[in-house]
Amino acid sequence: MNPELQLFLQQLLNGLTIGMVYALIALGYTMVYGVLQLINFAHGEVFMVGGYLALTAAGLATSLWAGLPFWVILLFLFLFSILGCSLLGAVIERTAYRPLRGSPKLTALISSIGMSFVLQNAVMLIYGSKEQSMPDVLPRWQLDLGGVTVSLIQLIIFATALSLMALLTLFVKRTRMGKAMRAASENPEAASLMGISVNGVIRTTFVLGSALAAVGGSLFAMNYGSLNFHDGYLAGIKAFTAAVFGGIGSIPGAMIGGVLLGVFEGFGAGYISSEWKDVFAFGLLIILLLFRPSGILGENVPEKV
Amino acid sequence: MHFFLSLILVSFFISPVFAKDDEVVIGLAAPLTGDQAYTGFGVMQGAKMAVEDANIRGPVFGQTKLRFEALDDQHNPTQAVLVANKFIANPDVLGVVGHFNSSCSKAASAIYHEGRMVQVSPASTNPEISRQGFDTFFRVCATDEVQAPAAATFARVDLGATRVAILDDQTTYGRGLADEFRKRFEKLGGQVLRHDGITQGEKDFMPLLTKIKSVDPELVFFGGIYPEMALLLKQAQKIGLKAKWMGGDGIFDVSLAQLAGQDIAEGAYATMLGVDPHEVPGAQDFVTRYEARYGEIGSFSAYGYDAASVLIEAVRRAGKKDREAVLAQMRVLKDFPGILGPVNFDERGDAIGKSVGIFKMENGKFKFIKEVKPQTSS
Repeated sequence: MNPELQLFLQQLLNGLTIGMVYALIALGYTMVYGVLQLINFAHGEVFMVGGYLALTAAGLATSLWAGLPFWVILLFLFLFSILGCSLLGAVIERTAYRPLRGSPKLTALISSIGMSFVLQNAVMLIYGSKEQSMPDVLPRWQLDLGGVTVSLIQLIIFATALSLMALLTLFVKRTRMGKAMRAASENPEAASLMGISVNGVIRTTFVLGSALAAVGGSLFAMNYGSLNFHDGYLAGIKAFTAAVFGGIGSIPGAMIGGVLLGVFEGFGAGYISSEWKDVFAFGLLIILLLFRPSGILGENVPEKV
Repeated sequence: MHFFLSLILVSFFISPVFAKDDEVVIGLAAPLTGDQAYTGFGVMQGAKMAVEDANIRGPVFGQTKLRFEALDDQHNPTQAVLVANKFIANPDVLGVVGHFNSSCSKAASAIYHEGRMVQVSPASTNPEISRQGFDTFFRVCATDEVQAPAAATFARVDLGATRVAILDDQTTYGRGLADEFRKRFEKLGGQVLRHDGITQGEKDFMPLLTKIKSVDPELVFFGGIYPEMALLLKQAQKIGLKAKWMGGDGIFDVSLAQLAGQDIAEGAYATMLGVDPHEVPGAQDFVTRYEARYGEIGSFSAYGYDAASVLIEAVRRAGKKDREAVLAQMRVLKDFPGILGPVNFDERGDAIGKSVGIFKMENGKFKFIKEVKPQTSS
């Protein structure tokens, strides 16, 4: 293969990989925004906790049942992390946001920032401030496609992220709960008049978003092999950007936004300069917002007067 | 009820103001929370042990005892300046061990200079800090002027590398180290193919490494610290970049092999200020006591101990609670017996004769392979 093309494809693959993880986190931001018009700044921390739970599960699994096939460990690790984070999501919603329902939007925003500090410091106290290493759960297997290397974890990231996005779309489009969610996001008061439990919908939204973040965190931990209690911050900001990029409140928008942000970053770092990688990604966001203030797929909702 | 509670709280906060007359404070400033908290704690515990050892030997002068006070600079220059101001404001503080990171040491050095307070850095290696003309700055470690050229010479002469790529984390420390490496390596006839920056705290370096792979260097030098080094090593392996790796004292950490994977980190080179404290006869007693108390010794714990010991000696010789007197004693101190060897300062406050060790990762541990003496003493 032509080396230039080879390099291009490798960079595209690099960008898509991280983009999938951004997309998984961005979904949580966008879903919560959809129903509450709240930017849940603690979401990046839920993602980080998901990574730490995966790390704990991997440590448990590799020491207790050594020799298990890797996919069993993988399944255990995902389940452990998803359960933990879903519970955490529900607790956060109950303790940090529900008591503030009805108060100005800014109050809940501050509460979410506070929650983010609480989670960061709790993880620092439990796991220590040092970088933690993720045990190797996957075989070091690689695929060589004409000079473009694809690792097993990259394949797993693509497969999990894409199937979860498909499942989420089906859930929102086809199920009763999904319908209730769409109704509540359109007009919470009308929805509750129709007999929809808006609180139930909000709780489900938090649980779902947190579960997706848990998967994202687990994939992140496996891909990079190390975790720090700060990791939720940068990943959270990036995913939030991705959500805005795609149009906040829109589920397909978050998916597209995440993947595009990853690809832009990858090409920015790979072809222009790695020092200016973030500038490149955020610069594009600014340009997009100048021309399409509601993001790629965001609806143009006129301000209510 | 609330009134009493706040009264108790207030008295708790203002109590240090009424410190006893027979007490002077040795300050310590290092990152105690945040991304470098672990290394910071290693320095802090080393310095704390020096203060305790001095107190066991008796009053530092007259009836005066030493008190140890550690403040957290969070590896953040802004916070470092606040910490420095806090130390200056307390008349009991006679000198500060710190800061750890070059960026923090540099930012705080002007404040200490204004307050006429001795600052002894255990680990800030950036050469610029001592060139600002502040007579209050000292350090007990070698600078990157010694460290990076030693690394470059080793890479060019001993390893025979001709084509390298350089990375740095864009911090005062990392960029400084990388620039010094580059200067020497080019002077020795080597070719620098690329020099890129990365962002600290970032995790994904695949695009950059893919680009580096396409220029095919024999060696990659990284000016930065071990968490990023571990990620770089791991991701380089993933994309099949087959170059040797080298870094400075920032990557010298016991957990590098664990984070990157032992087989991946195997063969990486690092320069370290001085030699492994485990291999310095004079440091054995300290290493044993430290490890019995805190577990595995940090890479800079012995430097924390030496920096604090030098400072305490100057306070002892000054014999009074007076910052200028301590500073005057620091400036004339000769051949202080530190646990890592004699401590001498040149007119800029840089440690004289501190050599650099070259280490290679073998079986998950950095193994000492060569000592590089500084070529000139100033």
